[in-house]
Amino acid sequence: MRALVLIFCFGLFSESGQTMEAQEVDALRSSGIRIVTLMRNLNATRKYPDALPSLLKTMNEETSTRFDTDPLFISELTDERLMENPILYVNCDDQPNLEFPAEELAALRRYMEQGGFVYLDAGIKASFLGADLGHSYAAWEERPEVNELFRQVYPEKSFLPLPRNHEIFRSFYKGLPKNRDLMIEANQKRLPETVLTFVEQEKWPQGTYSFVGMKVKGRLACVASPICAMGWGKDEFGSWIPPISFRIRESAENFDENLKLASFSGGTYEVTREDGLKDVIYSQLGQRPLWVKEPNGRWRIFKYYSGEEISNYAHAFYTRLGMNVFLYALLN
Amino acid sequence: MRQRFSQSLVFFAGTTLCLFGQAPSEDPLAPTSLSANGRQDGNVSAPKPIRSSQAETVRKAGEDLRFGEEGARVGAAKLLGKYPGSLSSMMLVGALDDQSALVRRASMVSLAEQANNGYPLYDKSLVEKVFSKLGDPDVEVRREVTAMIPRIVSGLMRGGMEVVEINGQKVYRSVPANLRPDLHQLAIRAFSDEDAIVRQNLLKYHQYIRVALPASTLVSLLGDPDQRVQLEALGRVYSNASKRPVVEKIKELSSHPEKGIRLKVVDVARDSNRYNPAYRGILRAMTKDADPEVTSMAAVELARFGERIAGDVIERIKQYLLAARGMSSQVTTILYAVSAMGKDGIQVYRALTEHSSSKMRSIAWQRYLSLSSGWQTPEAWLPGMSDRDKGVRDAILMSLRGRVKSLKTEELGELVGSPYADVRIFAGQTLLTADQEAFDQYGFDLLIDEDTVVRSTTLRAMGVRRVTGWVRIMSRSLLDEDYVIQRVAMDALLTDRHEGVKALKEYVAGNPQARISALARAELDRLGVR
Repeated sequence: MRALVLIFCFGLFSESGQTMEAQEVDALRSSGIRIVTLMRNLNATRKYPDALPSLLKTMNEETSTRFDTDPLFISELTDERLMENPILYVNCDDQPNLEFPAEELAALRRYMEQGGFVYLDAGIKASFLGADLGHSYAAWEERPEVNELFRQVYPEKSFLPLPRNHEIFRSFYKGLPKNRDLMIEANQKRLPETVLTFVEQEKWPQGTYSFVGMKVKGRLACVASPICAMGWGKDEFGSWIPPISFRIRESAENFDENLKLASFSGGTYEVTREDGLKDVIYSQLGQRPLWVKEPNGRWRIFKYYSGEEISNYAHAFYTRLGMNVFLYALLN
Repeated sequence: MRQRFSQSLVFFAGTTLCLFGQAPSEDPLAPTSLSANGRQDGNVSAPKPIRSSQAETVRKAGEDLRFGEEGARVGAAKLLGKYPGSLSSMMLVGALDDQSALVRRASMVSLAEQANNGYPLYDKSLVEKVFSKLGDPDVEVRREVTAMIPRIVSGLMRGGMEVVEINGQKVYRSVPANLRPDLHQLAIRAFSDEDAIVRQNLLKYHQYIRVALPASTLVSLLGDPDQRVQLEALGRVYSNASKRPVVEKIKELSSHPEKGIRLKVVDVARDSNRYNPAYRGILRAMTKDADPEVTSMAAVELARFGERIAGDVIERIKQYLLAARGMSSQVTTILYAVSAMGKDGIQVYRALTEHSSSKMRSIAWQRYLSLSSGWQTPEAWLPGMSDRDKGVRDAILMSLRGRVKSLKTEELGELVGSPYADVRIFAGQTLLTADQEAFDQYGFDLLIDEDTVVRSTTLRAMGVRRVTGWVRIMSRSLLDEDYVIQRVAMDALLTDRHEGVKALKEYVAGNPQARISALARAELDRLGVR
């Protein structure tokens, strides 16, 4: 793996017309692969500051790769250090906006064409979540700002949904977390039945998630996902931070009749599903989403579940997913 | 004889007059008009079926909750969670005694949902009913109750006044802000609940409901089979830290097989040191821990207390930090705390200047130079000038500027030969105090540097030192294309009223249209030179 990484880095350098000195190879080997993180305002508050270092540390512990757990922050895509590192991580929620000057757009295009991989976390975000940034939603469409950005970088390309059987979802881990991944006693894993069924069958089937991607020269060079970083952080004792609650869609008797008629005072929003059809989300002013009307005419309600076991499960899932993405980026 | 009014009035602080004393929502029973909502108008693609009013929706769900089959009751409970208000809350609380555990769970989740959306229960009798479900046979219900404690505590713990009739006379008396005795007992029992999450939640929130944690219960929870409960219990030690059984238990936990527990013990021993001197002994013993992280944490806490740390322990801390990858908060704590070791910490920081993490190297360099007065010995900081990370070099240069004395020829040569402009700029700055021999050898190399700032810094040093032929150098520099260089040359010439000013006047006369000339004229005017 380490050799592969070095070859990858060599590729970047040779194409950019530079030669890596033996000394720099040694430095890379000793400190590990450095992830470049874009923070357009370096003084801004990051939503999940422990997330990426924790994920990189976990990867160092559980795989044979060596990442520098100290991400390198850049504020502009023209920063020359970007070209020296193979992966660019962008938490779209941490950026004041996604509007870049022409030279940065050109640098981004050059980076992707020369082998760089761009991971846009929170690059998918359902409109009904509003300012509630700490939530993910499995919409299968990049957020409008991301779409606008890449329309300028690659006018001829568009993001496409990654199928559930894509290699990115199984490059290291396969399937959903097991008991031993949850860091709690075996007899404690008592996810409410409704939560577990929904997670296994609909929310994250086989450990997959809603991703869209863009290929450059036949290689997947950029992916966008709903926010995953919220599930990567660990504190100094190895406990997951912050607590995560699940939003699930669950049904009950009479919902088709009751929800069709039930009152609501907020807006309605359309969200693209995996199959390209649209869900209609109903909301209440100042509150979390209420319920959904699915394209098959079925009505279901949103419920939030929280608790230690749910949070642990979500963290284990997001961490495995994050590891799969970074390792896929290195191997491909 | 005391007779309580059958309809005694209870006045609670801040009570509003709406039903059940809950904070009023925006008229929850008022019908909702869809067309009145601007946000909906913007989304034309959504269907707009004919809908019932909110009052009708709540009433219908309430009927289903009371009279429907189990599935319908569950659905109604879920739906009511979307309509916060006194009526829906009352219905949901009523359903907490449903014979179906599924209905009770759905009701509790809906109450939690309302609380999370900013509509917590406030009426004391309703809140007490919810809290009493701590004794529910269904574990999910008990978990939800314990997790909701922070949300319901204001209603649960409210005091107030009540009117009672004693011997035919109305008497006003206070109602204490305590938990009802039977609920208090329920809470005490829940510390020993069969479910670890219930135990853990109660440990987290017991202070909200003013339920004291007895020392014996604390000791028992410190030995809980569930590690999360143990960690939570360790966070509650302070209330009984001076008790001998607790100290003994902490001592026992200091050799717990789980590292996370031992690290927490270090924190606890540090914070509890003021209550019992035995905690200092526990920390000392933990400096012999098999895990270097635990050793390091224990040692730095002892150092902060002013204790001298043994050489072998310092060596282990050094090895631990060298092996650490990046700046986790634990590593950061230890890294900064090494300063508390005084001179013993110097060797640790020296070793860490070669760490793979740039952030770690930056901090290590600053601390190393500061603790050892390293700016006085160039051989100590010169290796840092070749660090690949600019942030590290900046950190070092920040510690050196204004402190470095005269540099020797070979030392200055090393700076001048650097591939990094920031280092060469520093070389230019040190020319002010460098040996004459070093200055003669490298001054002109810096003057033709590719970097403007290097050249301007060097030029400034030459102006100050008045090297041989400096007026000629400055005069030539006024012809430079770079305004920064011109400006430095002008400033230097202005410091010499005879030769310098004369040269500047000649330049202005010969180059009246040059960019610097306007400023030069103004400066000359200011000096009274025409």
